[in-house]
Amino acid sequence: MNKKYALFTYILLFLPYSFLCLLIVTHSAQAKEHEIRYRLKWLFNTSVAGDIYANKAGYFAAQGLQVNIKEGSPEKNAINELELGRAEFGVASADQVIRALDKGARLVVLAQIFQVNPMQWIYRDDQPEIKTLNDLQGKTIGITFGGNDETIMRTLLTKAGIKEKEVKLSGVRFDFMPFFRRQVEVWPVYRNSQGVILQDKLTKEGEAVRFFNPAEFGVNFVANSIITSEEMLKEQPQVVEKFLTALLQGWEAAMNQENETKVLAAVKALDKNTDARIMQKQLASTRGLVLAEAEAKKIGAIDMPAWQQTEAIMLQAGQIKRAVQVEKYLQVR
Amino acid sequence: MQLVCDNLSFEYSDNGTIVLDRLSFTMQGPGFHAVFGPSGVGKTSLARIISAGITGYTGQLHLKEIKTILYSYNMERLPGWSNIGNILRQVTPSGCESLLEELITVFDLDSLMHSRFARLSLGQQNRVNLIRYLVQDFDLLILDESLANVDEKLRHTILLHIKERFSDKMFLSISHNLMEIATFCKKIVVLGSRKEEGREYLLQGMDVQRDREVAQDIAQDMLPDRKRLDEVMLEIMNAC
Amino acid sequence: MLVRRFVRRIAQFLIVYGIGLAGLLGLKYVLALSDYVVPDISLILETAKEVIADYIPAVFSTLSVTILGQVISIILAFSVGIAGRKSSWLGSFIRVTAYNIQAYPIVALAPIIFILLGDGFISRLLIASMICYFPLLLSVLGVMAAPVRDIEHFYRATGRMTWQLEVKIRAFENLSKLTTVISGSATLAMAGTIVAEFVAANAGIGYSIRTALYQSDLAKIFVALFLIGIIISVYQGLLETVGTWIIQKTSTEASSHE
Repeated sequence: MNKKYALFTYILLFLPYSFLCLLIVTHSAQAKEHEIRYRLKWLFNTSVAGDIYANKAGYFAAQGLQVNIKEGSPEKNAINELELGRAEFGVASADQVIRALDKGARLVVLAQIFQVNPMQWIYRDDQPEIKTLNDLQGKTIGITFGGNDETIMRTLLTKAGIKEKEVKLSGVRFDFMPFFRRQVEVWPVYRNSQGVILQDKLTKEGEAVRFFNPAEFGVNFVANSIITSEEMLKEQPQVVEKFLTALLQGWEAAMNQENETKVLAAVKALDKNTDARIMQKQLASTRGLVLAEAEAKKIGAIDMPAWQQTEAIMLQAGQIKRAVQVEKYLQVR
Repeated sequence: MQLVCDNLSFEYSDNGTIVLDRLSFTMQGPGFHAVFGPSGVGKTSLARIISAGITGYTGQLHLKEIKTILYSYNMERLPGWSNIGNILRQVTPSGCESLLEELITVFDLDSLMHSRFARLSLGQQNRVNLIRYLVQDFDLLILDESLANVDEKLRHTILLHIKERFSDKMFLSISHNLMEIATFCKKIVVLGSRKEEGREYLLQGMDVQRDREVAQDIAQDMLPDRKRLDEVMLEIMNAC
Repeated sequence: MLVRRFVRRIAQFLIVYGIGLAGLLGLKYVLALSDYVVPDISLILETAKEVIADYIPAVFSTLSVTILGQVISIILAFSVGIAGRKSSWLGSFIRVTAYNIQAYPIVALAPIIFILLGDGFISRLLIASMICYFPLLLSVLGVMAAPVRDIEHFYRATGRMTWQLEVKIRAFENLSKLTTVISGSATLAMAGTIVAEFVAANAGIGYSIRTALYQSDLAKIFVALFLIGIIISVYQGLLETVGTWIIQKTSTEASSHE
């Protein structure tokens, strides 16, 4: 009787898992026919203006594609979605891509939207300007433990020969109070989103700010990139080509100042909470990050040396176990 | 000492069921009195009205020389965090300790004083419960099946002892035990469906005392007034 | 007896954990997923070796907040439950207030708590207590508001009833229920602490999970979940043992008295 009961219990325990597995498998195959699913890294905002505009202005439609753009989050990871068959394209940061490659994921990088990493640090201009990395010494620096800003900052400190005890690293969260209260002097922000908001708030208080950009100190940690699976590239190269063409056209148009009103309207339709004035500033900031060195490169150009540096940094930091040779996975056009 | 119910009526407010309908009777003097009747005729409701456990009745309740009324019932429990001896001593008013010891002996509970209440049989539990009421200060004690599940011989011993020891107190016994009520009670109010409108049966019981030395022999049919007892029992049955 | 109880609890957890892991690994091989999406056993073990030295202190840090948070919520739940047991206006007010506060999801309140109190120990403690508190309060209110008539009647009839005695009677009569709820609430306190650490804190296993999530490192998350499962099994086993001991101690008499 007891054995029977135990067996019954185990069956009961297995049932939810079996059901879950079934759900996952069936859900993966639930895409609408001909619909392309594109998973962003974060929520709809001006940082993804080009993605939104490519859809809104009909660039995808012009290529005969019906694209469903979905918001992302740490839990809604584009790489996972590609592998599980829930998305055909996605946005992932370079560190996510390299980590995934290290663990055997089969994906390729199609484009790199931001030529300058928006991940920067903000500080008040009544503080001494950070002209060299040694100026970081003795400062209270905010980092997101586990985030790529931690990797970047640790790389910068190593590069400058600054030991961890010579600075004060302070974990940051979603609220900016420690920075407002001057408990943290140098605060990590996405230059074109939170950076704009913080700058605006402090300007209202009569305080000017500066941004500390790691790239200016030789650390080019690549930000977001457009990815797809190896399988997708192999089996549907035309779709990949059409998608990428439309997406980059969308970004090009979105970054054109002449289209600003239309682009802001398209973003506003999806991001209702951000103030229009802030949004305009964010778009201007995004433009600077996407179009940097545009004379030499096209929008979406993959900065191979920066990718290699990113990999080297991660390898050195022990975040990956082996060199993945990321250049093999970059689809340089 | 007098308990008068004058035209007492009571119905449940939730379903409108009439439990007592213009009940009137008078009980006088100390001693054992009883309320008898089949289940559901309102015996417990009457007891709870008298002990102020129910309000919302109509009619009058007159009490003369009765200040403190206690109501004990079958299935009451004592807390389980200590043994019976401790719990009983905690609720015994000072000066009543010897009475408590006396009752423990008469109720045949000496050996159980170190036990927890939950460990006792139902009959033992009811005896323990009754003791703690008897050591209180009261004028009228209502015993609602308070000696249920106690074996007959011991029950009779207890009843005779209570009648003797608390001869100045009034008791109102609610029981289904026809022979016991007929034997030990003075006045018996019979509640039943056959009563005539506006009138209850108030019968005279045998009110047997210890000095008549009959208690232990009732079950053996050795009661000198056995014929009278049969008549009383018949009267009660007819009244129901 | 004690060891057997712990072994049984841990074995039960290991079965559930094993089934979960097996399900995921099954999915990994069926869908040919990479180690990035679902790590294989060797990667989990390798990761465990790397992080265990950091994760064990982290899980104990979480446990310490859990225990303290639970103690606070027990005290609070009993205080409010006792005060709110009467059907008086005050009692009803306390009950309604308690329900209303609980109606707000804790993840929505957490940012406010962290802004007010910072991301240190106190915030973790408060959130853990808040998550653990409500189910406890419901049980305590349920117990304290329900009269035990068979016992209380005598004390009321003889004018001996005090609020302390009333609470004692009701608590004692529902000791088994209360100890079960208290030991069950350990899981909630642990979940609360982890949520707090996950949302915003700089210590504890919840914080480690968040960091691992940033790095999409599921292997680390598996290791963290394993440690959480083990520690909560042991803690709950301990609480159950204490509960059983209390019940035995209070409801049975010493053999010398039999």
